[in-house]
Amino acid sequence: MKAVGARLPRYDGVGHVTGRTRFVDDVRVGKTLWVKALRSPHHHAAITRLDVSKAAAMPGVHAIVTHEDIPRNVYGHLEALGVPGDEPLLAAEDVRYLGQPIAAVAAESEAAAQAAVEAIEVSYEEKPALFDIRKALDPDAPQIHHWGNVYPHYGSYNHRRVRKGNIDWAFEKADVIVEGVYRPQAIEQLPLETQVCTVVPEPDGRLTVYSCTQAMYFSMGVVAAHLQWPLNRLKFVGGTVGGGFGGKVDTATDTICCLLALKARRPVKWRWTREEEMLCSSTRAPWHIELADAVTSDGWILGRRTLTIHDAGAYARFSPYGLTKHAFHHSGAYTIPNLRFDGFVAFTNRVPTTAMRGFGVTSVSFAVETHLNRVAEAIGMDPWELRLKNANRVGDTTGNGVTLKDPSTVPVTLAAAERVGIELPAEYRAMTSDPRGGDLLPEHLAAQQNLSELNGGGH
Amino acid sequence: MRLTVNGIESEISSPPLTPLLHVLRDELDVTSPKAGCQQGGCGTCTVLVDGEPRRSCLTPVAAVDGASITTLEGVGEPERLSPVQAAFYEKYAAQCGFCTPGMIMAATALIDRKGGPVERDEVLEALGGHYCRCTGYVKIVDAVMAASRGEVGDVQDLPVSEAGEPSVEVHGSPA
Repeated sequence: MKAVGARLPRYDGVGHVTGRTRFVDDVRVGKTLWVKALRSPHHHAAITRLDVSKAAAMPGVHAIVTHEDIPRNVYGHLEALGVPGDEPLLAAEDVRYLGQPIAAVAAESEAAAQAAVEAIEVSYEEKPALFDIRKALDPDAPQIHHWGNVYPHYGSYNHRRVRKGNIDWAFEKADVIVEGVYRPQAIEQLPLETQVCTVVPEPDGRLTVYSCTQAMYFSMGVVAAHLQWPLNRLKFVGGTVGGGFGGKVDTATDTICCLLALKARRPVKWRWTREEEMLCSSTRAPWHIELADAVTSDGWILGRRTLTIHDAGAYARFSPYGLTKHAFHHSGAYTIPNLRFDGFVAFTNRVPTTAMRGFGVTSVSFAVETHLNRVAEAIGMDPWELRLKNANRVGDTTGNGVTLKDPSTVPVTLAAAERVGIELPAEYRAMTSDPRGGDLLPEHLAAQQNLSELNGGGH
Repeated sequence: MRLTVNGIESEISSPPLTPLLHVLRDELDVTSPKAGCQQGGCGTCTVLVDGEPRRSCLTPVAAVDGASITTLEGVGEPERLSPVQAAFYEKYAAQCGFCTPGMIMAATALIDRKGGPVERDEVLEALGGHYCRCTGYVKIVDAVMAASRGEVGDVQDLPVSEAGEPSVEVHGSPA
């Protein structure tokens, strides 16, 4: 354990401070072509005509790819986890967000590639667009995805559900019901290094991919699936990421560069502009979260009803997984014996949303902690005491049926209170994570714990 | 046109309105100045033009014909870090490293101009046009102030080892 607490030098520190670190944009390969993409100018439209012949004949243009060039155009980032694919690498029939790529050009220079993009002949028939996730579930909302406006593949349900205890009992028994609506909004991850990739076709038929991905083997799988290639024909070089924050989990550039390198038989490079990064790259999801807590006047949270809508943007990507994490965390760090959670992933005509620091969790944590302050205010209780009273303890069970062996809510809350100079009554300062007893084990929680023991103490 | 970059004089063949950033990166293969936004907004392309910090992405090369340019490669060697480089390394002021070239160039210019200790508000002003998305800036500002006071060198104390035991070695990235 010598490394714990030691001031260890960063393995990449000297490279960073001397300008020697080689980021993807710094990789130099001879005869590299530049890539630019034709992107949708509309939020939602049908592509009625796409003709790249004039662009392909322009000087300096070596290759253009459209959906027709892709062995498997539609692939899902989470197919390995049972989430079916829904997103085309290059749009074929419809465009569903502003900035969606339709075609990509490899040319001798950035300017030649851009000129060719502008020479691609394309026509659209605009369709109504949808941006409000709350309206996405309305029966008369424009239908913007071939699955409907809600992701439908949570087993036999069209949404993620959590059911624990008897929610009707909790709301009948409550002294006060506290409701709240929370809508954390989209955030761009905004790495200083924009999306960038260089692909080199090798003499042995393999491709070397210099990638800024946050997830090397994940991106390798995505590229291999679109190309319908075995993994051993791809050599990924990565590990040096100029900031990602979740925004470089999606494979934004690698696959299209591979297709162009193969077609042009030349190395290609695609570096997004800052404008592309801001307009077309994925963001953190916006959410709509409705909470209702059934509480007693002495500060027990008997039950919680939750409706949550996760904005996937135009395609599913990782959103079904993000919502599942959200579901696990919707009771926060607190023991609530009766829960009813319904979470929907809704489609809109925004850019597809994806991971960002604490994927799916920060949104619900914001809602839960803000809501607890409202609960405290409604019953006239100190918000620190409300949290400590309901804090997870050894032997408590979570909404998804896990019995907690080492919860940290009590010591963390006490330490936070001390740091900010909050004076708590002695009975609260003396609290630990030990199993509940005495006044802290009211009948409604005792019943839950007995049930847990009958079930074998969790799973 | 001619430029002297990190002490080496070169004839420049790029068109006169080419941004200095692209001349450095693409004609001269000097890659420490980064193309972060190419709109003058982020600061990571900052180089010293005759000692003054400039956004190389917004500077046409013809405007600096004959100038002496210093980039991060010209500030120090891996074996011989400058005080600002040593402070950034030792105080964990570089995280992903993409903004670091511009930060160190601007900080170096500030300390050279001041010739002695710099205060926090001076650092904030000098680095005000530089974005970092990783560190939250605190470590960067602390590193610049420490470098200006000569408070660097504790890297020699690393890694911590106990008598008779081999020191902790960090090979490569686990990520």
